Amino acid sequence: MAYVIASPRLGTVGDTYEPADGVNIEALIEGGFIKSTSKSTKSDKPIKDTNEE
Amino acid sequence: MATSTYLSNPVVTINAVDMSDQCTSAVFTRMIESLESTAFGQTNRSYVGGLENSTLTVTMYNSFAASETYATLKALVGTQVTVKVKPTSAATSATNPESTLTASYMESLPIVNGQLGALDTIDITFTGGAYSVAVA
Repeated sequence: MAYVIASPRLGTVGDTYEPADGVNIEALIEGGFIKSTSKSTKSDKPIKDTNEE
Repeated sequence: MATSTYLSNPVVTINAVDMSDQCTSAVFTRMIESLESTAFGQTNRSYVGGLENSTLTVTMYNSFAASETYATLKALVGTQVTVKVKPTSAATSATNPESTLTASYMESLPIVNGQLGALDTIDITFTGGAYSVAVA
């Protein structure tokens, strides 16, 4: 999982954030300090059921 | 005469977030619990060191704005947090050591401490965790 800095309190905004050991990532995301760069893998299209009988 | 004067630039980091501009006080106390080892025949009490139980207490202005006090602390209550303090914002060195408590416990978060005609300030205490100090 990759993160980018979203608040100057953590570093330069836009830079990649490498969390150190012991850092609570969820708290940083919830507080708006970092954002995850991974994209959703959900498809917009519903999956067709090809096993119709 | 040796003195340490804190004018305006100590650095306080909570969960990697620099909160220095919201802090007005930081007290980092290294404490090792005493265990009494006095035995028959002694005429004074004696103690040996037990578990370390260091603490960091910070006084901060309370703010609910983005990236400020509440946003930093709200998800940390009841969790283990890494906190760091150093005397000045200069590079870490033997004369500007950075003290760290790793996995220190944050038990409580005052939500509002409102008084008429005064800024809202809160005291946060981090207890326990592993103490370390960096000098480079």
